[in-house]
Amino acid sequence: MKLRIHWMCSVFLMLLTTSMLAQQKTITGNVSDQQGLALPGVSVVVVGTTSGTQTDFDGNYSISAEIGQRLRFSYLGQKTVNVTIGASNTINVQMEEDAQALDEVVVVAYGEKSRKNVITSISEIDSESIEDLVVDSPQNILQGQSAGVQVVSSSGLVGAAPEVRIRGTNSLGGSSRPLFVIDGVVLGDTFNTLTQGTGQGINPLATINPNDIESISVLKSAAAAALYGSRGGNGVVLITTKRGRTDGTVTVDINTNVSFSRLTDSPELLNASEFIDFTTTVRSAIGSTLLTDAGGDVDFIDLVTRNAVSTNSNFSVRGGNNRVSYFIGGTRERQEGVLNGNSLDRTSFRTNVEAKATDWLTAGINMNVSQNNFDRTPAENSFAAPYTIALLQRPDVEPFDENGNFTTAGNVGGGNVIAQEQLNQNDQNTTRIIGNAYLNFDLSSFIDGLSFKQELGIDRNLDDVIERQVELLTPGGFARNRISQQNRVIVNSLLSYNKTFGEKHNLSALVGYSFEENKFRILRGDGTGFLADAQRNVESASTFPITFSSGDETTLVSYLGRIAYDYANGRYLLEGSLRRDGSSVFGANNQFGTFWSAAAGWNVSEEPFMEDVSWIQGLKINGSIGSTGNDRITAATGVLNFFPSLGTFGTNNYNGESGLTPLALANPDLQWESTTTWDIGLSASFFNRRLSFNAEYYNRTTDDLILLVPVDPTFNNGLNNVLQNVGELENRGVELTVDATIFDNPEGFSWTSNFNIAWNENEVTSLPETASLDEQGRPFVEQVGGSLANSPQRAVLGESANSWYVIPYIGVNPQTGDAEWLGADGNPTTTPVAADRRIVGQGNPDFVGGFSNTFTYKNWSLSTLFNYSIGNDLLLTSREFIENPTSGFNKTTRVLDIWQQPGDQAFIPSPNSPTINSFAQTSSAQIADGSFVRLKNVTLAYTLPRDFIDRTFLTNVRFYATGTNLLTIKSDDLDGYDPEASNRADGGGTLGQDFFTVPQASTFTLGMNVTF
Amino acid sequence: MNKMNKNKLSAILALLVLVMVSCENRLELLPEDDIAEEIVFSTEVTALGAVVGIYNRAQQDDVLNGTFQFMTEWQSDNVAFEGTFDAFQQVSVYATLATNTSIFGIWDDNYEVIGAANLVIDNLPLVEDEDFTDAERTQAIAEARFMRALVYFNMSTVFGQPLQVAQGRSNLSVPLVTTSETGIELPRATLGQVQDFVEAELLAVIPLLVDGTRIKANPGAARALLARLYLYQERWDEAANMANMVISDPFYTLAPDYTFYDSPDNAEHVFTLVNNAVDGQDTNQGFSNISNPVPEGRGDVPFTQNLLDAYAEEAGDLRFSELNQEGPGAISPNAIFTNKFPDGVNLTDDAPVMRVTEMYLTRAEANLRAGTNVGDTPVNDINTLRSRAGLTDLGAVDLDIILNERRKELAFEGQRRMDLLRNGLNLRRPGQPQEAASAPGQNLTIFPIPQRVRDLSPFVEQNPGY
Repeated sequence: MKLRIHWMCSVFLMLLTTSMLAQQKTITGNVSDQQGLALPGVSVVVVGTTSGTQTDFDGNYSISAEIGQRLRFSYLGQKTVNVTIGASNTINVQMEEDAQALDEVVVVAYGEKSRKNVITSISEIDSESIEDLVVDSPQNILQGQSAGVQVVSSSGLVGAAPEVRIRGTNSLGGSSRPLFVIDGVVLGDTFNTLTQGTGQGINPLATINPNDIESISVLKSAAAAALYGSRGGNGVVLITTKRGRTDGTVTVDINTNVSFSRLTDSPELLNASEFIDFTTTVRSAIGSTLLTDAGGDVDFIDLVTRNAVSTNSNFSVRGGNNRVSYFIGGTRERQEGVLNGNSLDRTSFRTNVEAKATDWLTAGINMNVSQNNFDRTPAENSFAAPYTIALLQRPDVEPFDENGNFTTAGNVGGGNVIAQEQLNQNDQNTTRIIGNAYLNFDLSSFIDGLSFKQELGIDRNLDDVIERQVELLTPGGFARNRISQQNRVIVNSLLSYNKTFGEKHNLSALVGYSFEENKFRILRGDGTGFLADAQRNVESASTFPITFSSGDETTLVSYLGRIAYDYANGRYLLEGSLRRDGSSVFGANNQFGTFWSAAAGWNVSEEPFMEDVSWIQGLKINGSIGSTGNDRITAATGVLNFFPSLGTFGTNNYNGESGLTPLALANPDLQWESTTTWDIGLSASFFNRRLSFNAEYYNRTTDDLILLVPVDPTFNNGLNNVLQNVGELENRGVELTVDATIFDNPEGFSWTSNFNIAWNENEVTSLPETASLDEQGRPFVEQVGGSLANSPQRAVLGESANSWYVIPYIGVNPQTGDAEWLGADGNPTTTPVAADRRIVGQGNPDFVGGFSNTFTYKNWSLSTLFNYSIGNDLLLTSREFIENPTSGFNKTTRVLDIWQQPGDQAFIPSPNSPTINSFAQTSSAQIADGSFVRLKNVTLAYTLPRDFIDRTFLTNVRFYATGTNLLTIKSDDLDGYDPEASNRADGGGTLGQDFFTVPQASTFTLGMNVTF
Repeated sequence: MNKMNKNKLSAILALLVLVMVSCENRLELLPEDDIAEEIVFSTEVTALGAVVGIYNRAQQDDVLNGTFQFMTEWQSDNVAFEGTFDAFQQVSVYATLATNTSIFGIWDDNYEVIGAANLVIDNLPLVEDEDFTDAERTQAIAEARFMRALVYFNMSTVFGQPLQVAQGRSNLSVPLVTTSETGIELPRATLGQVQDFVEAELLAVIPLLVDGTRIKANPGAARALLARLYLYQERWDEAANMANMVISDPFYTLAPDYTFYDSPDNAEHVFTLVNNAVDGQDTNQGFSNISNPVPEGRGDVPFTQNLLDAYAEEAGDLRFSELNQEGPGAISPNAIFTNKFPDGVNLTDDAPVMRVTEMYLTRAEANLRAGTNVGDTPVNDINTLRSRAGLTDLGAVDLDIILNERRKELAFEGQRRMDLLRNGLNLRRPGQPQEAASAPGQNLTIFPIPQRVRDLSPFVEQNPGY
């Protein structure tokens, strides 16, 4: 903190000096719009200097300048005005609307486009929607903000990867995670995220600093994403980072905040005496060994969690002129997790520079370097997971002895998770460099409208895992160092052509070539047998169970092209694109694939007959069709396999002798999943753009689904599965977005509102002939289960890809005290069998969306963001453990409701019933309604009054308080659980399974923004 | 706009062409470490690597390294379960479900060994390598056949009812897959078919295997397994003869004390799988991890009171005093654990698959039942073992005494369950929980066919009660 104050002071001093030098003559004046109303926030700049200001709420400004210099007045949506300073000290300006500029520019695949001319399905999240959020990852920015984009925060762990699905589950065996692209660099996101008991490890995008993000475009339809070819099938998320300025001004932003977090919820557990009483009752009845009271009484959840304090400071400088523009930013952040021992230190820098070197050459570089130091904590399916253990641990067994020393006796898993977090080292340090450099040649001197861009991108990720377990927990000690790296190089060559023929015919075309290589390497050494805990590294060990180094490489070669035509200022629009991808990942017989799209749009508002219709603007109808692919299959086998089409043997030794064992069955025909989407959209604005809406219908068919088709190991040399392109699924849906400016008074009360909702229906339309048949005779495929090997979630033909397939549970029979399940014959049974299973719920919601509002009153603003998910069911598999009456684990207080006599409406069957042993088996007893509405974000901000600020060198000071996850409305069944629980986060397999998932934190943040 | 000339344009276009040409040929990549099946069976060296791979697969905890063995112990009277794995818990309280994941693991991993062996057996004759002699091939194939027979034998003991109950030889066992060709679907073979196959294979490989190893397939191991098979089949003469042949082989001798565990050179071992820190038990569910008290191990398998009582009948039994340790259990603050597999950290304890002690016990039991004295008298054989245990000689033995000695010698090694079942005894002693459910022939004394297998191959019939 001390350091930060230091450099803040020095920057202040510098600025003070420059402002004193510039003092020659003070010009004042007022800026108004076309109607003569005051325009606040207009940028006023002395051309050719760094001196500039903004108009206040009354449109007034004051600036120092010399006679003969020029003042430039610029404002979004208005034509820029230049005025040369004469004798007068007053310059009043009336600005004119700039119809061209009103068109916001949207980032699209390999380019940009005016919003009006976008005829494929792209939703954009602009800087205003990002500003008020306190988020730790790019994915979380998307939460609730974009129709059809479902983001599930998978865990309350620091750096946990949120699960992102665009327009539903698009894949069964592969991943449904969209492709992330930052400033044109396609990011790697499958490697080095190392799970520790969870279905997915560290968020592969955790190194991307949300503070650097200017806007995000989500390419939802195949037509929008077709230029990403074999990787566009799940949608594409294009992240654009902040740019420099071209108006000659310099802006310095300093943002600092402090956050306080705590667990949102956790199950209520038995205390020691309740536990002993309960287990004694049950165990005496079934004849198991009684658990003797160890004498303690511990609240373990309290011991493993904390009220966490996090700090975040970042600064950025944006400046430049019409030749060179730059953005330089840096962030230092310490995030403390709500679990003891879980934290992240993040330091990152970004430099974005663009130079117009000559009138025919523009060169630029975008570069991000970040260092993430994670102190990790295992979670979910691990005996080293503190939260899991806290729920399972007997409350009568203290983790300390009477002298306060850690004990391991009687602890679940034989460790001591409290000691583990205090004494063991479990770090993952990630260094990531993402950047690209480009040259853009203007070839207009040869062919008017032609330009060529050569781009070189890099995504280099270096992970350094350091673990050290102490003597107390691992006799002899244990150390691990694992260094892994991913090096991605991307070369893009793009030739583009833009020309208007006659008055009305606009043509633009793009052809390009792209090459990508990914190299992976891992070096790992483990050691045991240390003499002292003070010996930290593998070198000091006596035994080295694992030492290895491995590497692999993949390549992708692509040719791409797009052509777009519009007539009469975008009245009629046509667009088509084509991409051919060749990938080393796919089978020899199917290495290349072709993807395409076609789209058409009609801007009705541009029709002459609409000129007189003043209440409606921007009426547009568009439709598109296209195909894309999904190549995310390298993880489909559960382990990373960059050659999934090959039948291979792997090295597996015996007694130091080299051995080879079968690894995988071959499939040389393996290719990407291919998705065909058609969609239609309608958008319009009313009442001078005060109310706008956008509605879309889409139908997306994915065939050649890549499935790890289970094969019976009995008849396949012990191998369990083979990757095949089989099956087809369909997602249909409607998305609706409404934006409204309900009140708009810059001096008084303003209220803007956004509501989005997306319905999606997912149906498996075809499965392989070899698929197993379920009890009802339908083919199905079992979903991959995240941190649990198997999941009772299935993709069932004719049903959703995320159907829960378990035995229906009825309850405890009040008369007999037996637990009863619903048998396949429709009658209650106390001895259910596998044949009684059926679909009892869905992992995917009926609809999801968000609702955000911003209220401003004078200097105050309040913004709220709700996200919601309705109609999905969660499977709380942890209940099989913490509501298991016969186990030795602790239990939730729900088990106290035990059947004692006829007539009791109880939760737990009679201890004398044979069903006491089978009660906890997988059934609909663990299914809960997962619908929720959550106040994801609420921010109250206060901006210092202009008349006060104007007396300082500052241009803006804003204080804010933000709450995250302050309120969650969910069903009673979810008491103690987070509705966003997800056992798997990489967008494949199971959706909506909780297995001791660490609930989200609710966070309260206080912060300050200073701009000068 | 005219500042750029044609030379510059050509340079730019040349750049584009250069980039494209240099990258086009980069799609043809191969894995840097894993190799294709055709390559494996193209040279002698790699083909023999596939033979070594069979032992590696057998090292899985589900096969010979502990999970399988303890699952059977938990069903019996020696070992209590106090751990946290639901899959283990189910088995230990006779509430096993067809969806039990550990049982699927056992099925899967055992068929992995069978598959690895079938691949070797089918492909080794086809390796086109002149240096790979017929003798070398025959020997390697014999090893694969031995391992396959061993695994089929083990599977036949848990996935179907034993010979002594129900329909005997007609009891359904496991599908008998003897080809590496994939997708050949077979129904469950009968126990008789599996046992006949195991017997024929073992008899066939005895002359083909080489002597002088106890960490890989060897003739003594084949005979020892035959002795076990004949004992289970109540073919007393043959059992006694086979056991006697192993005992008579000077390569195998009874160890003077109990330090032979984890000593692969010790002549006590007829067949032991060597585990070391680098390759060995594949999960934390094998011999070493679950059998040690916390924090070294998981503390899942303490002695039952019944077994403690059995040892306590005679003071000074070294098989208890030398081979137990006290420590915290998974749930209980303190319990008695075996010390046969003491390395819970690196999991380097070897798997005792067959040792000569078992041959003495088998010879004694078979001789007693047949009324013969092949090799030696039952009482002498038992006294040999008792004297090593520090106990006084007995004047006479009966079946109960032999079984009791067998229990104390082989506890925690996965033999108790079959020793009880084949003698018509309940798996649990009176006073132990689930005694009634543990009677021979009861449905849940054998494992279910895993539901996943049934889902994929419905023709593989399920066992009754699942």
